[in-house]
Amino acid sequence: MMPMTPFASTALGKPLSITFGGQTVWLLPEHALWWPEGRILFIADLHLGKAATYRALGQPVPSGTTAENLRRLTDLIEHYQPEHLVFLGDFLHARQARTESVLGQVTAWRESHAAMHCTLVRGNHDSRAGDPPHALNIRVVDEPYLLGPFAACHHPQTHTSHAVLAGHLHPAATLQGPARDRLRLPCFVFGNSSAILPAFGEFTGGYTVVPQPGSVLYAVGGQTVWRLP
Amino acid sequence: MSLPVVQKGSSEVKTAITQWFLSRGWKAFKFQRDVWAAIAEGQSGLLHATTGSGKTYAVWLGILMCFMATAPSKRAQSAPKAGAKRKLVGAPLTVLWITPMRALAADTQRALQLPLDVLQEGGAFALWTVGARSGDTSSAERSAQNTRLPTVLVTTPESLSLFLSRADAAVALGSVQAVVVDEWHELMGNKRGVQTQLALARLKTFNPALLVWGMSATLGNLQDAMHTLLGSSDGTLVQGAVAKKLVIDTLLPAVAQRFPWAGHLGLTMLPQVIAEIATSATTLVFTNTRSQSEIWYQAILQARPDWAGLIALHHGSLDRGVREWVEAGLKSGELRSVVCTSSLDLGVDFLPVERVLQIGSPKGVARLLQRAGRSGHAPGRPSRITLVPTHSLEIIEAVAARAAVASGHIEARPSPRQPLDVLVQHLVTVALGGGFVPTELLREVRSTAAYADLSDDSWAWVLAFVHKGGESLGAYPDYQRAAPDEAGVWRVTSALLARRHRMNIGTIVSDASMAVQYLKGAKIGTVEESFAARLKPGDCFSFGGRLLELVRIHDMTAWVRKASGNRAAVPRWNGGRMPLSNTLADAVVEQLAQAEQGRFDSPELQRVQPLLELQQQWSALPTPATLLAEVLTSRDGTHLFLYPFAGRNVHLGLAGLLAWRAAQIAPRTFSIAVNDYGFELLCAEPVDWQNMLAALLNIAQPAMLLDEVLASLNAGELAQRRFREIARVSGLVFQGYPGEKRSNKQLQASSSLFYEVFRKYDPGNQLLQQAQAELLAEELDIARLQQSLARMATQKLVVKQLVRPTPFSFPLMVERLREKLSNESMADRIARMVQQLEHDAGGDGDAAANSQALSGISQALTMGQDTLAAPAKRLRTSRRLSK
Repeated sequence: MMPMTPFASTALGKPLSITFGGQTVWLLPEHALWWPEGRILFIADLHLGKAATYRALGQPVPSGTTAENLRRLTDLIEHYQPEHLVFLGDFLHARQARTESVLGQVTAWRESHAAMHCTLVRGNHDSRAGDPPHALNIRVVDEPYLLGPFAACHHPQTHTSHAVLAGHLHPAATLQGPARDRLRLPCFVFGNSSAILPAFGEFTGGYTVVPQPGSVLYAVGGQTVWRLP
Repeated sequence: MSLPVVQKGSSEVKTAITQWFLSRGWKAFKFQRDVWAAIAEGQSGLLHATTGSGKTYAVWLGILMCFMATAPSKRAQSAPKAGAKRKLVGAPLTVLWITPMRALAADTQRALQLPLDVLQEGGAFALWTVGARSGDTSSAERSAQNTRLPTVLVTTPESLSLFLSRADAAVALGSVQAVVVDEWHELMGNKRGVQTQLALARLKTFNPALLVWGMSATLGNLQDAMHTLLGSSDGTLVQGAVAKKLVIDTLLPAVAQRFPWAGHLGLTMLPQVIAEIATSATTLVFTNTRSQSEIWYQAILQARPDWAGLIALHHGSLDRGVREWVEAGLKSGELRSVVCTSSLDLGVDFLPVERVLQIGSPKGVARLLQRAGRSGHAPGRPSRITLVPTHSLEIIEAVAARAAVASGHIEARPSPRQPLDVLVQHLVTVALGGGFVPTELLREVRSTAAYADLSDDSWAWVLAFVHKGGESLGAYPDYQRAAPDEAGVWRVTSALLARRHRMNIGTIVSDASMAVQYLKGAKIGTVEESFAARLKPGDCFSFGGRLLELVRIHDMTAWVRKASGNRAAVPRWNGGRMPLSNTLADAVVEQLAQAEQGRFDSPELQRVQPLLELQQQWSALPTPATLLAEVLTSRDGTHLFLYPFAGRNVHLGLAGLLAWRAAQIAPRTFSIAVNDYGFELLCAEPVDWQNMLAALLNIAQPAMLLDEVLASLNAGELAQRRFREIARVSGLVFQGYPGEKRSNKQLQASSSLFYEVFRKYDPGNQLLQQAQAELLAEELDIARLQQSLARMATQKLVVKQLVRPTPFSFPLMVERLREKLSNESMADRIARMVQQLEHDAGGDGDAAANSQALSGISQALTMGQDTLAAPAKRLRTSRRLSK
C-alpha cells in the first residue's frame, strides 16, 4: 500500500517521516504516530476524565478537556482515515473518571467512528481505572501487543524481536537557543528499537528528558515536528 | 461583652506591677506609660518601637493592669474547705498574642509569664495561665488545650485560622478580649497579614469591644500600618522610645576592582571580615541568601579552624533543632559569631551581640535598621552595622545608606489589596468554623483594610468559586466545596475536604524541598528537589556547614553521610530576591552625581574612584539628570544596557515593555537580564537602538501602559509562576498531609497545569486575574514603573556605543536571570534555534556527520541540563511535571 501523502491542510500540522523498525512512520505534530503501511494510528496517554477525577477529589478543574481531546482525535481520524487506532495505555485517568458525562462523550465519539478498530494496551492508570465499557467496542490487551514489526506497550522497555512503541513518560524537551533563549516542548524519544510518544491528552503535563547516547528527540511545536540535534 | 475598665480598687496590683518593673532596674518610658493609658481607656492601637526597647512590656503590662479588675484573685474565690483540695477552674481564653515566627512562641510565653508570676505571688491573676499553640506544639499539649484553653495564648496567624475552622470557634474564641500582634511590620506586607486581618475581623464579630494592639519596627508608613491592622476601627499610634545610637560603617577593600564580578560573593573580603570578628565580641554576619551563608561559613571556618564550635550557621533550611541550638548559643554568649540570613532578622534579643556585619547590599534602609537593631542590646552600647561590599558598586550603597538614614528616608511598606485566594481560603475556614451567612460575612470582610473596597462582583465570584468552582453553570460538573444548608448557612459537608483544608491552612508556600538526613538518623535540614535531583549517589555537596556525600534518595529524603575532599556543589534555594528600594537607589544616584562633579568626599567614594572614572572614560556616569544607555555588539548579538536605578523588579517590567515595543517594529526575540541598577536587552539580530530608543521610552497613558505591560508579558511565564502561590492558598493544590511522602514538584506541576487549563477553559476565572494583578503590583511594581517612566522622560538620554563592556554593564552580562519574550511565531523561533545549533556545528554537511557533530554540541549546550561540575551559581531549576 502506498503511503498517503498529507494534504496541504491548514488544520493539521506537517508530519515528519522517519524509518523505525524497518518501516516508514510519521511523527505527527498532533502528538501521535502514524504507520501508513499498516494504516494504524498510535496515541499515548489520553487520560480521559482527568479533570472529572480532580473535581471528584475536590479540585475545581473546568470542564471541556474531554471534548477537546475527542475533537483533536476526530480531526486526526478524518485526516488519516486509520483502519486501526491503538491507545498505548492510560486511556481513562482513574476510576472517578467514569462519569456519565465522560463516558457519554466517548460513546458518541466511538459511534461516529464505528468501523475503525480500537485497541487499548493497558497502562498503569487503566489497571486502576478499569477497562473501558464493552459498549465502546475497544479491544483491551496487555503489553507487549505485537503488531507487524512493532510491540505496542505502555511502559517504555525493550523487546527482543520487535520495535517498541510506548508512552507513560509524557516526555518534553528543553531547547536552548542563542541569547539564552529557552523553550520547553513535548517530544518523541527514539532509540534504535524503542520509541516513546508524547502524551496526547489535554491537562496531562510533561516530564523533561535529556537525550541519551543513541537516542534522538523530536520536539513538537508550531504545528511542526523538529529533529533535535 | 464590654471591656472591663480599671477600677480604683485595683491600685495595689498596679503598684505591684510598677514595683516589679522597678525591681528589674527598669524605669517606665513615656511610650510605655502612653500605651498603658490608651489601653486603660479601652483603645486599640499600634506601638512603634525597635526590638529590645521594652515594647512587649508596654503592651503586656497595660493589658494586665486593665484586666486585673476582672481577673479574680485567690481572695475572691470562696475559701476552700479545710482539708479538701479544690481544683481551681482557670480563667477562659482572654488574650491572644500573635507572633509571626513559631520559633518565638516559647520565648514570648516565658516573657509573658515573668510578671504574671510576681503578681500571682501577690495573689492576683490566680486563675490565669499562659500557653503557646503553633505548628511546633506537642500533640499532648494540643489535646490538653482542646479540652481547656489557657487564659493567654501565644500563637501564629496560621494556628489562629485553624482555631477559626473549629466547629465551636465562636464559643472557644468568643471570650477573647484582647489581641496583640507582635512584629506587625513583618506581617502587614504579605498575605499572612491579610489572613490576620480576616481573623481579627472574625474575632471582632464574636466580641465587638475587642482590644487590638500591634507592635511594629520602623517603617515609612506607620499610619497605614495601623489602619491595616485595625481596619475600620479607630486607634492610637504610639511612637516608641528614642532611637538608640546607631553606627553605620563600611569595611573597605584595599582596592576596589573594576571588574570584580566573577566571584560575586565577596569572599575577597574574607581576611578583613575575620579580623573584625576576631576583635569584636559576639558578631552576627548577615548574608542575603542561604547559599551565600553556606559559602561564608565554610570560608571562615577554613581560614580559622580553631573557631570550630565558636561560630555557627543559621538559615531557614536548617533543621529546627540545629537552629534552636544556635539561638541558645547566641543567648548564652558561647558563640563568637553566627553567619545567618533573614532567619535571624526577627526574634528575641540576643544580649551578647555587639555588632552586625552585612555581607552585600542591605537592599533597603528599613532592612538595614532592622538588622542593625539586632546588636547593642547591652545597656549603654550603640547598635553597629558594618557593610561588607561584595562588589565595587556596593561600596557606593554603603555611603548612600548612611546618607538616607541621616536624613530620615525610610521605605514605606505596602500591604496586599483584595487577594482573592486568601479570601477563598477564609470562606472555607469560616464555613467549617460554624458556617456563615453571606451578607453578614461580607460586612465583616469589608471591615478589614484589605477588602474594604471589595466589589459585589468579586464577592459573588468568590462565593461561586467555593461553591461550585465558578460562576458559569456546568463549567465544573459534580464539583462542590461549600454550600448553603436549608437555613442559608454555608457549610462544608465533605469530611475529606474539611480535613484537607485544615491541613493546608496558611499562606506560606514552601519551595519544592527534600529533607536531608544522615543514614544514622539525624535530620540536617532541607534542600530543593531540583538540586537533589541533579545529584548522583557519591556526589558531594556542602550543607549546614558540612561536606556531605549523597548515598541515595528515597522517600523524599536525601540520605547522606559525612564526606571529605573539597570539590562540592553548594545548594541554591529559590528564595525571592529582594529589589533595591527606591529610597536607597535614589541615594546611590545622588552619590554618583557627586562623583560626576569630581567630588569624592567619603572614604567609600574615594575607594571606587578608579571604577567610576573608567566608567566615565568608556561611557558616562548615570546621574539624576541623565539617563544612560549603552549599546554593545558581541558574538551573542546586540546588547542594550539601560540604567533607570529603579530596583530589579521594576527593571524586569521596563525591560519587558521596551522589548515588546521594539518587537512591534520588527518581530524578534529578546533576552532580558536585570539587576538593581539597570537592565540588559539582548537580541541575536542587529537592532538600531541609537535611533529607536528615545521614541520607545515615551510615557504612555496609565491605562495604555497597563495593557502594554500585560501584552509584553503574554509571552513570559511570570504570571504562571505567580499562580503557584495562588493555587496553593486558594486550595486548588494541596501541600499534602504531614509526613506524607509526596513530591512537592508534583504540586508545582499541578499548579502550572491548572493555570493552563483555566486559561483555556475558564478564562474568566478571577484567580488568573489575581495572578496578573499580583505580578503587576508586587513583582513588577507598576506604580513604581510608571514613576520611573515619568522620571526618565525628564532626564536627558545619553546613548553610548561601547567597544567593550563597562564596569556598569559587565555585571548585567553575567547576570543569570533571563526572561524570554518573543512575538515571533513559535515555529520561527525553533527554526532559528535549530539553525543556530546547526551553524555552530560547522554548517551543512551530510546528515550523518552532521548529526554526530550536533550531538557534540548538544552535549556542550547540555540541552537544559547543567552538570554538577559547573559552578554552583549556574545550577538551574528543571521542572518535572506529573503524569
